[in-house]
Amino acid sequence: MPRRRILNPLTELLAAVLLVVLVLVVNRWEFSLAVLLLVVVPAVLTSGRARQIGLAVLLIAGPLLLSSLLLHGLFFPEGRTVLLDLGPARVTREGLAFAAVMGLRMSVFTGVLLTAAMTLDVPELLATMTHRQWNRKLVFVVGSAVGLIPHVALRSRQITRAQQARGLVVGRGPLSRVRALLTVTTPLVIGLLVDASERNRMLGARGFSSPGPRTSYLPDTDTPRQRAVRRAMAVGVGLFSVLWLGSGVLA
Amino acid sequence: MIRLQSGSFAYDDGVPLLSGVTVAVEPGEYLVVAGASGSGKTTLARLLAGAVGTDAGAVFRGSLTLDGETVRFEGGPADPRIDPAVWSASVAFVAQGAWGQLSMMSATVGEEIAFGPCNRGVPYERLRREVDDVAAALKLTELLDRDPRRLSGGQLQRTIIAAAVVQRPRVLVLDEPFQGLDAGAAADVSAAIDVLRAGGTGVVVCAPMLPRTAPEGARIIALDGGHPVFDGLLAEARWAGLRRYGIGTEGDAPRIGAARPRGAPTTGGRTLVTVDDVVVRYPSPGEPGGPGRSERRARRRPPVSRDTPAVLDGVSLQVRAGEILAVRGSNGSGKTTLLQVLNGLRRPESGRVTVDGTPILRQPTGAFAGVVGYLFQDTDQQLFERTVLREVSYGPRAAGLRRVDALRRAADALEAVGLSAVADIHPYELAFVQRRLVALASLIAAGPSVWVLDEPTAGLDEPARTGLAALLVQHAQGGGAVVMATHDAAFSAAVAHRVLRLEAGLIHEESPGPVS
Repeated sequence: MPRRRILNPLTELLAAVLLVVLVLVVNRWEFSLAVLLLVVVPAVLTSGRARQIGLAVLLIAGPLLLSSLLLHGLFFPEGRTVLLDLGPARVTREGLAFAAVMGLRMSVFTGVLLTAAMTLDVPELLATMTHRQWNRKLVFVVGSAVGLIPHVALRSRQITRAQQARGLVVGRGPLSRVRALLTVTTPLVIGLLVDASERNRMLGARGFSSPGPRTSYLPDTDTPRQRAVRRAMAVGVGLFSVLWLGSGVLA
Repeated sequence: MIRLQSGSFAYDDGVPLLSGVTVAVEPGEYLVVAGASGSGKTTLARLLAGAVGTDAGAVFRGSLTLDGETVRFEGGPADPRIDPAVWSASVAFVAQGAWGQLSMMSATVGEEIAFGPCNRGVPYERLRREVDDVAAALKLTELLDRDPRRLSGGQLQRTIIAAAVVQRPRVLVLDEPFQGLDAGAAADVSAAIDVLRAGGTGVVVCAPMLPRTAPEGARIIALDGGHPVFDGLLAEARWAGLRRYGIGTEGDAPRIGAARPRGAPTTGGRTLVTVDDVVVRYPSPGEPGGPGRSERRARRRPPVSRDTPAVLDGVSLQVRAGEILAVRGSNGSGKTTLLQVLNGLRRPESGRVTVDGTPILRQPTGAFAGVVGYLFQDTDQQLFERTVLREVSYGPRAAGLRRVDALRRAADALEAVGLSAVADIHPYELAFVQRRLVALASLIAAGPSVWVLDEPTAGLDEPARTGLAALLVQHAQGGGAVVMATHDAAFSAAVAHRVLRLEAGLIHEESPGPVS
């Protein structure tokens, strides 16, 4: 069941980023594990897109985990307790423990950030940034960068359809799919460049470079309370980090 | 109010256009700039919109006057620059090709319409009100929450016009605004423009042909090869012999003369296409007419397949060899969907489609390209190669022809549409009408017996439209068949043997063609 959205996307995004900062600062596997089990997993499960997010996490974190396991598991210089000697490579208890801690941390990072990014209501985020009077060019960069993904997908689908209508046969085999992908690339890139120059001109003609504050068509869903919470969160995590790191150094 | 005096304009040291042209638009005036492809009307529209092109290597000599303030251009590096933000606050411009004008920052039609006023800081309450008003005037209210990238061609065009109208500009410049609109939508756009004019906005409309109707007092400037050949009232323009410059009148039958189809094809002709009780319900996302963001969200709930209105709700038809069939219907009525069913680009939920004796089942779309050729409504969606010749030879090459043979076929097809001279040019460097003809040539080159054409006449000038009519008739007489979706009633009346109307997912035989 999709989760009911209660927070402004800006608050959600900030919370995700601060959580990542906390995991980095605290740097203890117990904390990482707690965040993973108590925050990331429930968030993914209630996101309404659990499958897609799970797949994305697997695709991104999987190779990282594997390479971390290979690297630290086999070649950890500080490793003392040798579990298996393979000549130049040694599997050590310390190496495996280090790999587990790193892997845990990476899973938390990818889980938190991907969940935030993939459930983000982009129009609402842009509207909030506009209502908060953020720089319009920055808002545009964020907006068009996010908007570019569906645009590129749509455009490449259109080109494939045009090529199919003219006799391109896309088979089920991977080779045929790769070939179809290659034939799409050149026209896709050229088309996007032509589009971009035309769009740039049209943005000008629609007053995009006007001075003064920009307004938004979407209502402001942000509240003074959430703004206060965001500030408090940022300050809180900042203070905590200073104290934690400071005590770590002193200890 | 606005005045353009053009001494000359040239792209990249090309042939100078628009020498000695003066265009002035007064408050509330309606000016039509008519001209065939390459006549310079788009250049003129861009100049009025303040795009003098110095940044793109163009050289403009002349002046632009807006509200008594004149900006002069000598064609040198010291020329002043027009600030598009300031200029567009008074002069709104709708270019050709709605797709390239989307801001790409808007998830809904409402946001897209509001983009301009947002940039100028119009307060939220007023913004909502103005967008609602314009949407109501252009019958876009129901589409306000849809993703603008997923609209049908006509709906997208109306959205872009709404985005210009909502800015309440002093001057509104529209380059072929009625292209691809059905009669109802065109009337809505005209009415919205009339409201603006009543408030004092001067309107400039560029078009390949003279309009059939225009507001009283409408003035026409006709261009040919970059030079003005007529300036006067619409009534006078009709008798000024502009046809010799390739400027016809909208809604006139194409002058195909002796090539006219004679009678219906014999009923004994081979059946080339059979569509039997086809139902299409779920347009897939990413295609015109597909669901928008809010709808996709809704779709995450349990599907409501039976309640979703079908785009095609049990459509049956047959097309015989030698026959030209026109499909008409309002914007978004499912014409494109029906056409795409014919070559497998869209697979129906139920029903059967047979093309030249082969049922379309699960074969890849590309397998039918040799039998069914498809002309997309949006040309730029169809062109993807580096040169015109490569583009046109793609089909024959994909069909497995040797390079030499494919190139020969391509050259023949280019000759048929009169484009042999531009074979080595990049398709994007051509004017709209020529790009459209390149798309048509690439269809012809593959040699299919069934031509499926989506709005083939939209945006064509008189010579191209007449040439197209002749090609269609010739193809049918040679034993081929044509199925086309079109808003061009005069064209379908002149060349089609049968006209079908698509409405609420069903087709009705409209009336027999005048010649059958």
